[in-house]
Amino acid sequence: MFRIVNATGGYGKTVIIRDVSLHVDAGEAVALLGRNGVGKSTLMRFATGLIPAGSGHVEIDSVRAPVSPSRRAKLGLGYVPQGRFVFPRMTVIENIAVAAEANGHNGSEAVDATMADFPMLKPKASDLAGGLSGGQQQVLALARALAVQPRILLLDEPTEGVQPSIIDEIAGVLKRINRDRGIAILVAEQDLDFCLSIATRAYVMEKGAIRLETDRDRLKADKQLQQELLGV
Amino acid sequence: MEIDYLATVLLSSLSSASILLIATIGLAVVFGLMGVINLAHGEFLMIGAYTALTTTQWGVPYALSIPIAVVVTMTIGATVEILIISRLYGRLFDTMLATWGLSIAFYQLAVLIFGTVTPGIGMPRYSLRIGDYSLAGYPLLMIAVAALMALFVYALMTRTAYGRKARAAIQVPEMAQAIGIDSSRVNTLTFAIGCGLAGFAGAVLLPIVPATPSMGFAFVIKAFLTVVVAGPVTLTGSVLAAIGLGGGASITASFLTSVAGDAFFFLITALLLWLFPMGISATWRRKM
Repeated sequence: MFRIVNATGGYGKTVIIRDVSLHVDAGEAVALLGRNGVGKSTLMRFATGLIPAGSGHVEIDSVRAPVSPSRRAKLGLGYVPQGRFVFPRMTVIENIAVAAEANGHNGSEAVDATMADFPMLKPKASDLAGGLSGGQQQVLALARALAVQPRILLLDEPTEGVQPSIIDEIAGVLKRINRDRGIAILVAEQDLDFCLSIATRAYVMEKGAIRLETDRDRLKADKQLQQELLGV
Repeated sequence: MEIDYLATVLLSSLSSASILLIATIGLAVVFGLMGVINLAHGEFLMIGAYTALTTTQWGVPYALSIPIAVVVTMTIGATVEILIISRLYGRLFDTMLATWGLSIAFYQLAVLIFGTVTPGIGMPRYSLRIGDYSLAGYPLLMIAVAALMALFVYALMTRTAYGRKARAAIQVPEMAQAIGIDSSRVNTLTFAIGCGLAGFAGAVLLPIVPATPSMGFAFVIKAFLTVVVAGPVTLTGSVLAAIGLGGGASITASFLTSVAGDAFFFLITALLLWLFPMGISATWRRKM
């Protein structure tokens, strides 16, 4: 249902990803692995439309996605960026409501649904997002992306700088929304255990290109590849 | 007598600060929610004043001429945003130049249509007596008008879906787009609202500040400095900056001379910007 086709792009004249193609089927959870600086985040930004495409394109439901990021969101593309980027001078409630409202959904219904999904946000509901801890902001960034009511969710390093108990909670939520609501997931990560607990298939990136495609079982068995990925 | 005099000075200074705030809020909204400095802000004020003046001359009651001025300035503002501002997003100095040029064009247009001298409209005649002193009622009423304007903008930006989108779009522009906010439509509305607030200011201040083509210049410099001193938490910052700078200047002026009042305004502005280069609210945790 989601496809990146021959993506080439970067910042200014610097090309970071070259001719990258991948796909995520409906309801599938896929990991994008690779060390720091191989182009995972750039590929994510290419997918959302936040960097202009040098060449190549993105397909959502076999239809070429529009150029504008806001219209891609309306087609069901959710995005949790590396570094969270919650709206700092808006409350937790407002962060969630605005994401729902921007896509024509009811803001307060979205807030109620979020509080049911993420009870840890409840006591912080009226706090400004800028004052939350890193882990809380990460959960809020995920909640905000879900308020868009996506069919494909892109996550960029969701475990970075987050305490283990919250990582478990995020993994639990991702598994649940993937299984119960059929939301497809593409997660860029360096935390192999986190990925193996969610994704059934993985792409491994190296130097701005996809080096190989593998599935969970083969990845679990291949200690040499694991070592390369973990950089041990 | 001393107490009476002090009360009179305080009230009239608060009224001066309120007039400054009324003239500033539109600029603050556009700067705070779009990152655009609209140097034609004063001319939108002027357009609002002339609209109110002309419609009252046609026989429309003054109270009704104010919403007409708002509609006229909002319409012109939306047009300007679509034709000019939207092409210059993220280019602060280019938008300043473009709106400065626009202000000159509007000024000349007003000279051509209305001439350089125009009659004022009479100030509603009621006054407040404090001991031996008497204060005109209408400028005092501006304290309430300024408070209501600030409350209106606060409610608009925190209680409506539009306001949440506008704040999201200025705080983290890329993520606002990525969650589906169409920034250009939000910006057109924000600019129109800013211009409408300027038009409202021009119309509501008409009994105090007569409409002239050059009236915008008088306001735009102080309004601009107030907004810059205020910083990123626009509304609260502007309210405090207007009370501190406008009120302080007015108090200085009543004890010394009006020149000393202006000197106070610009010196304190320079001092504040030296202490807080990003504005006094740079580190505040507040919504607006």
